[in-house]
Amino acid sequence: MATFGSLALIIGLALAAYNLFAGGVALRLIATGQQAAISPERLADTARRAGIAVFIAVTAAAFALVYAALTNDFSITYIMEHSNRALDLKYKFAALWSGQEGSLLLWCWLLAAYGFVLRLRHKTDVKLYAYAGTIFAAIQVFFLAVVNFAAPPFSLLRGTIPADGNGLNPLLQYPEMVIHPPMLYLGYVGFSVPFAFALGALMMRYPGEKWIKITRVWTLVTWLFLTFGIFLGMHWAYAVLGWGGYWGWDPVENASFMPWLTGTAFMHSVMMQEKRGMMKSWNVWLIFSTFLLTLLGTTLTRGGLVSSVHAFAQSSIATWFYVAMGVTLAICIFTYIMQRDHLRADHQLESLVSRESSFLFNNLVLLTACFVILWGTLFPILSEYVQGSKVTVGAPFYNRVAIPIGLFLLFLTGVGPLLPWRSTSLKAVKRNFIVPTIALWVTVAVCLIFGPRPLSTWFSEAGYFYALVAFAVSASVFTAIASEFLRGAGVIAKQTGKNLAAAMYLLTRRNTRRYGGYLIHIGVVIIVVGLAGAAFNKSTEKELALHDSMSVGPYTLECVGFTQDSNANYDSNYALLDVYQNGKKQFQMAPEKRVYTASQQPQTMVAIHSVLSWDLYTVFEGTNPDTGQPIIKAFLNPLVSWIWAGVVLIVGGTFIALVPSLTPATAAVKAPATATLHAEPVLKGGD
Amino acid sequence: MIRNRKWIKGVQAAALAIAVCFSIGATDATARYEKLNHQFMCSCGCGQVLGECNHVGCPASPVQLAELKADMTNGMGDKEIMDSFAAKYGATVLAAPTTTGFNLVAWIAPFAVFLAALLGTILLVRHWSVGRKQLGEPSNTPEMDALRERIRRETGSEGSY
Amino acid sequence: MSETLGLALGCLMAIGLFLYTFWPENAFASQRQKTRLDYLLERKEQLYENLRDLNFEYRAGKYPEEDFVAQRTQLENETAQLLAEIDVLEGQ
Repeated sequence: MATFGSLALIIGLALAAYNLFAGGVALRLIATGQQAAISPERLADTARRAGIAVFIAVTAAAFALVYAALTNDFSITYIMEHSNRALDLKYKFAALWSGQEGSLLLWCWLLAAYGFVLRLRHKTDVKLYAYAGTIFAAIQVFFLAVVNFAAPPFSLLRGTIPADGNGLNPLLQYPEMVIHPPMLYLGYVGFSVPFAFALGALMMRYPGEKWIKITRVWTLVTWLFLTFGIFLGMHWAYAVLGWGGYWGWDPVENASFMPWLTGTAFMHSVMMQEKRGMMKSWNVWLIFSTFLLTLLGTTLTRGGLVSSVHAFAQSSIATWFYVAMGVTLAICIFTYIMQRDHLRADHQLESLVSRESSFLFNNLVLLTACFVILWGTLFPILSEYVQGSKVTVGAPFYNRVAIPIGLFLLFLTGVGPLLPWRSTSLKAVKRNFIVPTIALWVTVAVCLIFGPRPLSTWFSEAGYFYALVAFAVSASVFTAIASEFLRGAGVIAKQTGKNLAAAMYLLTRRNTRRYGGYLIHIGVVIIVVGLAGAAFNKSTEKELALHDSMSVGPYTLECVGFTQDSNANYDSNYALLDVYQNGKKQFQMAPEKRVYTASQQPQTMVAIHSVLSWDLYTVFEGTNPDTGQPIIKAFLNPLVSWIWAGVVLIVGGTFIALVPSLTPATAAVKAPATATLHAEPVLKGGD
Repeated sequence: MIRNRKWIKGVQAAALAIAVCFSIGATDATARYEKLNHQFMCSCGCGQVLGECNHVGCPASPVQLAELKADMTNGMGDKEIMDSFAAKYGATVLAAPTTTGFNLVAWIAPFAVFLAALLGTILLVRHWSVGRKQLGEPSNTPEMDALRERIRRETGSEGSY
Repeated sequence: MSETLGLALGCLMAIGLFLYTFWPENAFASQRQKTRLDYLLERKEQLYENLRDLNFEYRAGKYPEEDFVAQRTQLENETAQLLAEIDVLEGQ
């Protein structure tokens, strides 16, 4: 299988290289109008088909690796290091991305899959797709070169083949870990597509902004994968790592968050270009940066430049990525300089009170957040260089710096939808702000009345204060968006005589993108409420003898047993806890600690009881060696389930935004007639 | 004049109230302990905050936590404890950069960048909205009027949506 | 799977993919350059959408009357010029 896999990867690389070369030559021939032995369009089509074939080859390689994992082929170093016989089937499958070589192969495969779809859909705009496909092939050549030469997944073990493998890192033996990395990678890899289109459109001086419409679905889907991947990672950290939290500002988390921030900025800002032909240079650079940040993220976490909990995949491939980033940046700058006159804006911003300016500020905040994270991640290196000693930039730094920025962003989430395009006067929109402002102050009052005592703690504790602001702004943003929905539905209801629910449905169908977007905003608001709940976390730790009890928040936990168990894969220790509320038994929890046989690594299995208002989260910390009794840590984490609920709304909103809008009958545009005049006289020769 | 004095008194009262609010911090020992153990990193290399390190048999965190407790009972101030930890385990034990020397740059840069960008954006928007270009007056030929009529019909400004 | 079998399968795949890539296909799509008319029709579609949006937002109470009229006039003029050019090109 190793031979087959290696061969498939070489074939993939050769085909991708052919795609890049032939595609490039064909585009050059077409652009310059030179005569060649073969028709350049025919050449371009073979390049496209080579791109499709890459997908087949890389799929075969990925299949070979999974097959090797499933059949326990420990002659392959990678399988020996990341799998073992007793490993559950689904985790053997996950071995494909549990180590460096495998995850790079997964990256190549996802890239090939995106490329496959891209090349199949080329009839949408053959020329634009030919440019994008060729740029995409360049990215594929790089990643395939890395898996072929720098991190080959099929390298064979020297010496005797061991009877069993080292096993999968127990931290990764959790169902979500089977989908979290592929999701995140789909997001990371996916940004290559809008990048390729943006660069291609710039290279060919694509007339108009239609390319944005063409790539919109790609960008949205990619963004969705990245968002979902990040939250799956958070949920995994929460449910598996057992420290009671979900986000630790680890460099790897940061690495996934940075392209998310610039990608989100791009999705907003590109609307200005699509609608009004503004901000063209800015958007091009946003998507360039997003792509570069995905490369940088990979480099940071794999190159050992910054230390991280995710240190499972460090090696020397960083050099490859530095070169790739340098080359990409050089190409971007060169293309931009050569074609910058093509990016002149059709319109300019007309007023501070407009949707455009709210997008501008949204971009400003998102990019500042991205800068803060990049700065925090790289500061230890800078510090070592300047003052000769490393410092840690951990959670306290980010919490203090990022929370105010995040709250400002949340505020804009509500303001943006209230402002119309182009320009209006403050007076005109003032009344739209009345209800949200009332909601803001009512929430503040409610929090102060029913919240923790004494009142002064709201202002003396930074966490409480931020939570107060977050709750109040969330309520206000929620009402702002809800009132937008209602106002829109009201207009339709008045015109059609439908009831409000039907009008809201019709409203959403008419502009899926806007109202899907609003739903995403509501999801964000709900997530913020959930995050703010962390300010009120409580925890306590106690050694429990049989029938001892401990209490946290409204719950009392009684230990009714602790025992040991073992199977082929692990030995486990767990405690049985009866949970009482108001003197009545409510449910039972069984936090557990496992020691995996193959790796001899311990692992906590957290027990979580989740309700809308809070999570009761219990961890089996260990056993006291003197008494043999379990030490239990219990957390009461308010509002955590809101985070996951918000994510569901985000996913739903994105799906709505992906549905094409119903266009009014009057919008029928005549089918484009064939004409011979060119949009812009870019071509010297014929085509 | 009298109105003015009242106003000043009001401000003074408000300032006092805020000052009181901020001075009544959470002073009880467990809260302080929780707060402090989140200011340090566990030094075993796990990359977790000291108060959140939960490795079974972690060689570092129980020792460090015990030391923190001892320092607190010995009546050491927050700053003293942080200094002694930094002296013993190196500067990387502090979970965030200090606010002295070059480390201050870590704190200032984000806000400086934010303010600079904010200012830049506002100036840019103002510049644009002042120099906003007016479209040339369109010709009022009958053909153009007919076109405008058609546009209005097709974009449904007369009642549809 | 033995090494030879792997090698054979790999070669087979290579030949298959080679044939797929270089098969003399005559039905390839041509790279037509977007015409000025295509471009104008796209713009028209976008401007129509902007106008509909403007009407809707006006009815939802986001513009005072005078702002709305000014902006509609501006957009309509822009669109009218576009339509005039489209008519000329389509007439050719």
